[in-house]
This record gives sequence, C-alpha cells and structure tokens, in this order.
Amino acid sequence: MKNILISLFSILFIFACSSVETVDVQETKTVDLTSSESDSGSPMSELDIGEPHTKVFFDYDDDTLREDALSDLLAISRLMKEDSRYTLLVEGHADERGTREYNLALSERRASAVEDFLVSSGVSSFNIEVVGYGEEKPVDAASNQTAWAKNRRAELYFIK
Amino acid sequence: MIRIFYLIFINLVLHSELILEITESANQPVKIAVLQKNDSSFKGQEIVNIISNDLKRTGEFEVLGLDQLLSIPLNESEVIQRDWLLLDVDSIIFIETKETDNSLDINYSIFNVSYNDTEDKRKVLGLPDSIRQSSHYVSDGIYEFFFGIKGISATKLMYVTKNSDIYRLMVSDADGFNEQVLLKSNKSIISPAWSSDAKDIAYVSFENNRAQVFIQNLESGNRELILSSSSSVSSPAWSPNKKFLALTSTMDGNSEIYLIELKTKKISRLTENSSIDTEPAWSTDGRKIIFTSDRAGSPQIYEIDIRTKIKRRLTTEGNYNARASYLNKNEIVFVHRGTENFNIAKLNLKTRNLEVLTSTQNDESPCIAPNGNVIIYATKDGSLSYLAGVNISSKVKFRLPALYGELKEPAWSPFLR
Repeated sequence: MKNILISLFSILFIFACSSVETVDVQETKTVDLTSSESDSGSPMSELDIGEPHTKVFFDYDDDTLREDALSDLLAISRLMKEDSRYTLLVEGHADERGTREYNLALSERRASAVEDFLVSSGVSSFNIEVVGYGEEKPVDAASNQTAWAKNRRAELYFIK
Repeated sequence: MIRIFYLIFINLVLHSELILEITESANQPVKIAVLQKNDSSFKGQEIVNIISNDLKRTGEFEVLGLDQLLSIPLNESEVIQRDWLLLDVDSIIFIETKETDNSLDINYSIFNVSYNDTEDKRKVLGLPDSIRQSSHYVSDGIYEFFFGIKGISATKLMYVTKNSDIYRLMVSDADGFNEQVLLKSNKSIISPAWSSDAKDIAYVSFENNRAQVFIQNLESGNRELILSSSSSVSSPAWSPNKKFLALTSTMDGNSEIYLIELKTKKISRLTENSSIDTEPAWSTDGRKIIFTSDRAGSPQIYEIDIRTKIKRRLTTEGNYNARASYLNKNEIVFVHRGTENFNIAKLNLKTRNLEVLTSTQNDESPCIAPNGNVIIYATKDGSLSYLAGVNISSKVKFRLPALYGELKEPAWSPFLR
C-alpha cells in the first residue's frame, strides 16, 4: 500500500518548474520506551540504587577535587581496600549553566576525578564504574547559586 | 485508497504545543493583505488564514484583516488603488484555489499597490489533504519574493518536551501543527539532529542509564544504537552527505570526537587531547568540523580540517564559548558567556566581529533554520525551559512558550523539497 502511495505522490509531483512547486508530506512513527513492551532491555535500566553513600562537590566549570571531599574519599578507599567485593558507581553531574553536551563531558570528568583519586590511593579500577549525567539530573531545579552549587557534584553508590 | 489518506492526515492534526509570540517586531514590517481571488470558499479562506498566520509569524509582515480594508477586490482589475495607498499597503496577495478529486493547486499573485500591477505569479501543486503544507509553500514563496531569502514555513522543528518526568522527542511543522511523538522515555533525551534528507534523525538517549547515540528512521520508527560501548557516546552530527556521523565518546578514556562511517561502522578519531573535546558540527561542504574544547582552560570553539587534521582556534572573546554551528562559510553561531549571562552569539571569522544576538539569560542549544537567517534556542524562565528565537536580518525576536511542562533541545529540519 505504501508503494502505491509513494507512486501516487511521484506522479503528482512530476510537474515541477521554476514558478511551480509541489508538496510532499511525511508520516512518522512513535517509539514508546515507557510501556512494558519497551525493547530497551538493559540490565541497568531499572536498577534502583537508592541514596548515594557519599556526595562530593565541585567548583564552576571545574573537575578538580576540593579539599573538603578528601576525607570522605579516603574513608571509601579504606573500605574498598579492606573488602574487594565492593563495587562503586560514581555518577558525575553538572549545573544547568552552559551547554548540555559540554556539561555531559564535564560531569564525566568529575566522576573520573573521583575514580582517579581512589585508584591512586590503591583501589582497583575494576571495582569502579564511572558515568556522566551532565545537567540532566539536578537535585535542585532552581536557577541560583545555591542550587548550582548543589548540582555540581559526584554521587558515589555501592552497587555490590 | 482515499480513506487511507484521510486516516493518515487526521492523525497528523493534533493539538499544537508551539504557540509563537513575537516579542520584538521588525522596524518597518511590509504591509500586505491576503485575499481570495474570484471566488470565496471555506477551504480558500482556510488557506488564506494559514498563509496570513505564516507571514505574521515572521514578524516581518503586517497582515491587514478584512475589517481593516476600505474595499475588497475579487481580482487585480477591481483594485481601487487610492483605497490601498491610503492604508499605506505595499502589496495585495491574491490566492486562487483549484481543487479536483485528487489535487489541490494554489495559484498566487503579488499585486504591487504603488505600481498598480501584478509583480509575480506562482503556483503550488498539492493534494486535497495537504492544505497546510501547500499553504506553507505559498507563504515561503511570498517571503522569498519580498526578502530574497527562502521562507521556512514549510519546514519542521524537532524538540524535547518534559512533563511529569516523561521526556518526549517531538516533531511538528514550523507553526506547531501536526505535532507527533518520535520517542517517549522516562529518561532524558538530548541533542536531536536531522539527517540532510530529513528522513532519519540521531539523538542521545539516557534510557540505559548512560548517554548513548541512536539513529531512528522517521517513517518506520526503526532504531539503531550507534557504537555499543560502556563509555558515554553523545553529540551526534550528520555529515552533509549523510555518510558519516560525527560524535563524542569517552571510549579512549577522555572526551574525544570521532567520525563513524555509517555503512561500514568504521571509526576514526579526530581529536587527541587530554581536555574535553565535544559538540562537533559540520561545515556545509563537509570538509571541516567545528567543536568545543577546553584545552586552553575554558571552553572555546576550534575548527579542524578533516583531511589534514589541522586545527585552529576560532573564539577568543569571553570565558565560555560552546556548541557552535556554521551559519555560512564565514560566520558561526554559538553559546557565549561574556561576563555573567549565557547568550547566543554570532562571530564573523573574517572581520572577527562578535555580535550577541539574544537578551535572555540561560540560553543554550542554538539551531539554525535552513535559510540561515533564523535561530531558535532554549532558554529558561525560573526552572522551566522554553524556546525562543531571533531573526538575524530583521532582528525580530519571538518566543515559543511551553503550554505545559518544558520545551528544550530544538533542531530545525532541512528544507523538505
């Protein structure tokens, strides 16, 4: 049936010349990932990982660990070195300012900064997973300095 | 057959989300009237209304309503010139509709009041059920006649809406009609991009809890994951010939730009730097890519020649320049932060002249209309984002507020002909 439609369009549109224009109309399909029949099927997709074990915060457009984060990270490092069964998920986040894609990269660098610190303190990188969410998951949706400071963060979760 | 047609088109006419408000009109809009020629029909009036609205939406026309006119001519020979000169009308647009069982053609002529003569005559051929699209083509022809730039009424917009934590990737006609859902997800969708033939799209979906790039065919809804990786993949941009996708990935440990040949899936790396490199955009000839890098400390725009790999920095003014696209060979448009606010700016690469185009505050995601003269971007009012736009030549500014929830990540289609 589609082919017949297409050929009907082509027949009608064959007359183009400089002062005459023809019209094309396109149809589209919806992909719904929210329904139960969703084909996204990832093991991670509906993982409920609860509240973060630890949060560390960053300055504007910066992925350097601040001094106030170090004692928390050293505690996590000790924990992970004592028991190598622990696996840590580090989620990096950014505030809303600037562009989404740059913030995605920035947030992943923040998560990697946490990973790098832990690895340099002796934790195996195999036990750390890093992911960047950019500005997509703010904890505070307001547009002010307080909200931005809260959103520039890395969240650390023990997932095993 | 006819019945199938009807079903398709009735499904297309959904409630529109994009209501355009002109916030700053052109200094001297062109004053016109749009009238039915020879005959007055319901369908003819519908077409006149669609065209009038299209032209009003540009902010560059003042379209007089029937109640504002001194006389209503049925054709060119009935025009009483004095009546129109008194109203200071530039031109009268006569619209004649010819409908048969399987065609709906629109003839239109542009009658110049001061010359007292017809200046241009054109014709659009369409189907009985493509009234809106055919009318948009007429609007674009009229626009081009007056401004020498192609009109964009017959194009489409893609954008992301967010309502109660459901994200929808939508596509609609440029006037907000025929809104359709392309992808519905519980997770964020960003960076939608059109292929050059407007048949496929690419976007970033977080549906699997990390950024992944998908390609989706509009007609079939078939999706393909591009680059299966445990690292993030994002920022897709189609090459003008549709053979390559430029994208960003951290698969080598750091955010770098790659080219993937879609047929062979062959990957080549374009940037090698320990800093962030992202947001690739192609030049129209497909030879160069501009991208954002913070290799000099703050995000700035760089250009790379794909063949020679020679790079040069393009932006120097401001501490934050990102997400650039080529407006034309010599100009780029990007997100710019001078001191405090994030705005959309334009830089002439030859004269080095930087022009800030917007006056809102948290502007992002600029996209350029296919005529290269209108930019739509996302901005925020409180915590809710909506779309706004600016016309480069006329300085007309407009906004497309979300009726509910949020509107963001606009992407303008190429011309659909």
